[in-house]
This record gives sequence, structure tokens and C-alpha cells, in this order.
Amino acid sequence: MAVASIGRKNVKWAFLLPALVYLMLMAILPLVWTLTLSFTKWHANIMPRPEWVGLDNYKYFLFENPRFWNALGFTSMYVGISVTGELILGLILAFLLSHKFKGRNFFRVIYLIPMACPPIAVAFLWRMMLHPDIGVINTILKSIGLSAVKWTTSANMAPFTIIMVDIWEWTPFMFLALLAAFQSLPTELYQAAAVDGANSWQMFTHITLPLIAPVIVTISLIRAIDAFKLFELVFGITGAGPGSATESLSFYVYVIGMKWFKLGRGSAVSLLFLIILLIFAITLISRFKKVRTE
Amino acid sequence: MKKWIFIPIIVVVVAVVLVYFFIIRVPKEEIVEVEVAEVDLSVTLTLLVTDPHIQVVDTWKPIWEAQTGGTIDVVLLPYATLEEKMWIEFRTKTGSFDIACVPVTWLGEVFGGGHVENLEPYIEKYGYPDWDDVMPGVQRITKFMGDIMALPYDGDMHMTYYRKDALEVPEYQKRFKDKFGYSYQVPPANWSEVRDIAEFFNKWDWDKDGEIEYGVAFIAAQNSQAMWTFMDVCAQYTTIAGTPSNYTSNIFFDTETMEPLAKSPGWVEAMTRIQELTKFAPPGLLGYGFSELRQAFVSGNSAIAFDWGDIGIQEQMPVEYGSKVKGLLGYGPLPGAKKYFDRETNKWVEKQHTVNFLNFGGWVWIIPKAAPHKDAAYHFGIYITNPEHSLLDVCGIHGYTGANPWRWSHFKAPDAWVRGGWGEESVKAYLKAISDILQDPNAVPDLAIPGTPEYYTGAGSSLDVHLNAVLSGKISPEEGCERIYKDWVRITDEKGFEEQKAFYRSSLGLE
Repeated sequence: MAVASIGRKNVKWAFLLPALVYLMLMAILPLVWTLTLSFTKWHANIMPRPEWVGLDNYKYFLFENPRFWNALGFTSMYVGISVTGELILGLILAFLLSHKFKGRNFFRVIYLIPMACPPIAVAFLWRMMLHPDIGVINTILKSIGLSAVKWTTSANMAPFTIIMVDIWEWTPFMFLALLAAFQSLPTELYQAAAVDGANSWQMFTHITLPLIAPVIVTISLIRAIDAFKLFELVFGITGAGPGSATESLSFYVYVIGMKWFKLGRGSAVSLLFLIILLIFAITLISRFKKVRTE
Repeated sequence: MKKWIFIPIIVVVVAVVLVYFFIIRVPKEEIVEVEVAEVDLSVTLTLLVTDPHIQVVDTWKPIWEAQTGGTIDVVLLPYATLEEKMWIEFRTKTGSFDIACVPVTWLGEVFGGGHVENLEPYIEKYGYPDWDDVMPGVQRITKFMGDIMALPYDGDMHMTYYRKDALEVPEYQKRFKDKFGYSYQVPPANWSEVRDIAEFFNKWDWDKDGEIEYGVAFIAAQNSQAMWTFMDVCAQYTTIAGTPSNYTSNIFFDTETMEPLAKSPGWVEAMTRIQELTKFAPPGLLGYGFSELRQAFVSGNSAIAFDWGDIGIQEQMPVEYGSKVKGLLGYGPLPGAKKYFDRETNKWVEKQHTVNFLNFGGWVWIIPKAAPHKDAAYHFGIYITNPEHSLLDVCGIHGYTGANPWRWSHFKAPDAWVRGGWGEESVKAYLKAISDILQDPNAVPDLAIPGTPEYYTGAGSSLDVHLNAVLSGKISPEEGCERIYKDWVRITDEKGFEEQKAFYRSSLGLE
């Protein structure tokens, strides 16, 4: 009996083992390796092996490096504005396209195209369209008597250019999820509200929004976490410039690790990035949980 | 019509295409037969190249393959990712490529780290096609501690291009003199003249083509090669030409203290001047990488430009590069300055002078230590860079640009250049401008010490980021120089002060 019990336990572990080994090799081990490296100095192109430096790398980024804080500031601003913009536009589009009208399916498909494009292709497409001299957008502006805009070459304008392109690319994601949410809403509630004399705005704020709140929370969180990892648009459109006006955290990590081969510093800034992302996600989830229970 | 009728048509079309690529495209008498030494060349060679050089490789690849029975596998990478691919191979030693075409300016730590083959034994064993034909400036950049570590392939330095139909028009010259009170030289002798000429020719239709033109254009985009445009200006105000020493032909660090010169008055002056030039440039200047600059300038949008030798090639090719300025360009060395800051006396010296700067240094071929087919790679390297083949690559006969003249023989074959589409007078002026710089024994070498990509040559480097912030008007020239100075002090400390000092002094030929 005991032998049979041990056998059953072993079988259970045998089934679990491949997944555990995979997880260990692909997720845990790299994380531990990165953590270890983050306490070292390793300029991989000139140093044969890492040197232990303790918390120096973290101290450097947190207290001595304005470029890190600049990248964090830009990334946070970008996430806040672009996700909010995408949510509002997605909500409006989903609301409009949830009603029946001629050509509705055509617009539904058209709005999904940006999301289907590879981000790096989107970046280069917009880079050409926004080119200050030969870009189609400035050509149109000039043809109607307006002055050309320095979309990517002004330190004040470039961050908003990145945000604008991101909104163009990712609003369809919000739209798609919210459209599905709209279509799943029970019609009885609206009929009852109409009988009680509620107008369209009251129905939207008191019925629609509370009912689709879980969807809004989920997609906002997914988009925000994804947006924090901004890289392709920066790489393709502005190269993080002018100066460091559009340098995102991911791009900065890439420069440190892959351009300068400072693997210790790169690991430290990656882990700081991960910690910031986790704090952001946990705060957002707990906040939304609280709102939902209220 | 029967379907089979298409078969012979397809066969004929394919045959014509093959004949074009294998026979017509490279005239047969110019193909040098590969000497099959005691090396097996029938292997698969993996080449790492970036976009400016893919056409060179594509031209010689089928001929090499046909002659040797070998195969060439080309890995094409954008400039922005070439460096990381190279370093990943050096760290992992997987033998992922046999030979790579890379910029010299990256090679300080590559040579020092022992990541590539020393080519001296190969040269001794297999020979090298006419080493004495390689110009001294180019020979110098391929060496490390006296040994040849890379195969030369490109003679790179910036030069001045100007529109003859603007700067040489007597009426404009008179109007310029009326406005500024002096006559400029052609090509402009210093950056003060460049500034005034740029202002004069900015935002009006001086070539009467119905479009507005601008004063000056140069590479200014971040994550590109704007840093070298700045160094063109910086070299003139920071030092004076002479045998390299702490105070002559030295623009990056104090050779005694290893203190960056970034905060010196010469640097600040250069930063101020280049920022001012953006006012007289096309509105999209800060988006100009090398390809945007070349396309814009040969399409006729500016009076002056500064670039490597490539604009000259693109000028000759209206079809391939949309040139509207064929025969309209003049060429010259970089402008000098009317003064320079003498750090020895700590004073400005008013003197017209010019410092030639071996800008970027050029592209070379390197063979990694872990390359699986080192001997075959060496043979391929000397095959495409021998005097006959390299001449065809630099002179425009093949209809592309990417490599600029670097052998003495390239300058002695004007007929080849004329066949490449050049006018006889144009090519004389163009080659003279380049050879004057490459022959200058006091030309300032580009920075090539460990950390160079972080100091200034790499995407996201200190100079790249802060220069762009200055050009966009986000920060002042003084602030930009201050930030660069602080970054450079930190980078030197991180890399090892004494080691960096030794490397830097060695790069200038100082003990």
C-alpha cells in the first residue's frame, strides 16, 4: 500500500518535472543570473570576468544618473497619456460601432489594421510620413497654408509624436475588447432604465460603465504593462532624441547592455525596471479591486 | 496560344539576366582570377556586412563562387545593430561569421581584446596585393601595436561639397560682399565663412528651379553619425595641425592628465557654431542621417554640405540616386578656422589654419578569432580589396557608393572614374580633395580607444545625446559640453584611468 502510494507520488512529480525544469531553466535561472550580475561590474568587451561591486550599480542609477530618471519620467508620461487616450478613443469607437448602421463591418475591419502591423514597420512608416522635409504629413500641411511641424526633431514635440503613433497603433486593441464587452451587455437593463425615464448619458454612466468596468481594468492593465516596455517606436522614429527627450527605459537598458556591453549595469537597470513595473501593476490591480468591491 | 510557347521565352529571359549579372556587369578583363593557393576555397564563407557595403559584396559574390566553387552566405545587418552582433560573436566565440566589414573607430577594444586575427602571418604566407599602394593614413588605421590587424577597404574622411551654381556666381558673390563686407573663398576657408555663406544662400531660390533652397546641410540626426560633423568643427577650434602631441593634432583628451577637452573653449566654440548653423539649414536637418543628407543634397536642396566621399559618387548618378546636380558640385577639404584655442598658453590664437581629421577612419575587414574558415576569409578579403577590384568599387563604375578611394592607384586612374560617370574636371577636384587629406602626416586620427562607442561614436553615446540636445535647442552649448565632460570623466574612470591614458597616448604615437 505504502509502495503504491510512493509510486503515485513519483508519477505526479514525473509529470510535473519537465514543466519545472523548463521554468527553472527559462525563467528562474536567468532571473537569478541577472540578479547576481547586477551586483558586479562587467564591461564584457574588455573584462574577461565580472568583478563584485555590491550595490554600486543601484546607487549609480538611483542617485547619480539623471538619464535613468529622465527615461523613467518619459516612459511614465508616455504610458499615462497614451493608455488614457487609447481607452477614451477605444470607448468612443466601440460605442459608435456597437450600433447598427450601413458599412459597420467595413469600419470594424479597417480599425483593426494598425494593431496587426509589426511595431517596427509602424515606426518606419510613421518616420517617413513625419519626415520634416519630404514627409507626406508636412507636405499636406504646407499645401493648405500651414507651417511644417518638427514632429521628430523638436524636443518638445517628439514625445507627443511617439504618443500619437502609439495611440494610432493600439486604440484598436481597446476598441476590440470594449466592442465585445458592449455586445455582451444585457438589453433588459436598458429597457428597464428607459421605462424609468433615464436618458442616454445616464444609461451610459450608470449601467454601461459599471458593467464594463472589469474589462476596462483588465485591458488598461495589459496595455499599460505593454506600453512600459516601449522600444520599437523610439528605435525607429526618433532614436531616443532629440537629446534624450524620447528615451524610454527599455531603450536605455538596450544601450547600456547591447551598445556599451556593461552587463552589470544593464542587469541592475533591468531589475529596477522590473521592480517599478511590478509596483505599478500591483498598485493598479489592488486599486481596481478596491473600486470593484466598493 | 499554346502554353508551351512561354517556356522558351522564360529560358531566354533567365539567360539574359544571368549573362548580365555574370558577364556584362563586371567587364571580363577587369576580373582578377583567384589564385588558388594551398587553401580550400570551396567552403561556405559567412560575411557580416551592413547596408552601404552589400552592393560591393553582391557584385563579387557570384564571381568568387564561380571561380572557387565556394559559397558566400551574406548576413546583412543595419548599422545600428552591427556592433552588437560583432560583440556577441566575440564573447560567445560561436564562429557565426568568417569575416566582417566594420568601422575602424570600433576597433580600439577589439584589437586590444585580442578578438580578431593578427593578419601578419597571413600576409607572410599568402601575400597581400600591393601593400605599398595603400595610402599611409589608411595603412595606419589597420594597425595595432605595429601589426596589421584588418584589411583596408575604404578611405574615409569628411570633405566639403558646394554648389558651383551658387558659390561661383559673380552676381551672388557681389551681393554677398555688399552684405558681409568681404569676399568668401571657394571652397570656404573657415567655419566663419561657412556660417555667412549659409545665411546668404538660405531660404531663397538661387538656382532658379522654382523651389526654395537652403544654406547648409550635414548629418545631424541622433542615433546616426552627427558626432563626426561636430568633430569636423571641433578639430579646427581645439587644436592646430602638427606632429601629434598634447597641444597639436589632439582634440579629445589632455595626454598628460587624461582630462577630457570637452569643456575647453575650443569645444564650446565649436558647439556654438554648429548650433548656429542649424538656423540656415533645411527644416528637417535634425532628421538627416547619412542617407537622408545625401538624398537631399544631390536632389539640390542646399548650397553646402559636409560628408564622406559618397555625395560625389551619388552626384554622378541621376538614375540610381535621383541626382539633379551632376556637374554642379565643387569639392574641397574641410573648412578651417580663423582662430584656435592654445591650451599651452590658455589663450585664443588668431590664425587662419586647417586641421585635417581622419573622420570615422573608414571601413575595414576583420577576421574573428573563432572564424571557422580563416584562410578562405583572408583570401576573400584580399580578393575584393585588390587594386583592380577596389578601383571598380570606389569609382562608381558599378553604380554604387559605400567605399571611397584609399589606394594610390585609385587616384592615378582618372579614366576609370570617367567611365564611372564623372566629368574629367570634377574627378580631378574630387580626388585632389581626398588625397590631400589622406596624405597629410599630421591629420588627426579618430578616437580608437576602449569605450569609444560610449564616449562618442555609438548610438546613445554621450556626445550623440548631448550634441543632439544642443542642436535641437534643448540645452545651451556650454551645458552640452559640461555634460559631455562629466560623462567622459566617468567613462575613463570606469574603464581604468591608467589603461585609458596609455591607450590614448599610444593612439597618437606618444610613448
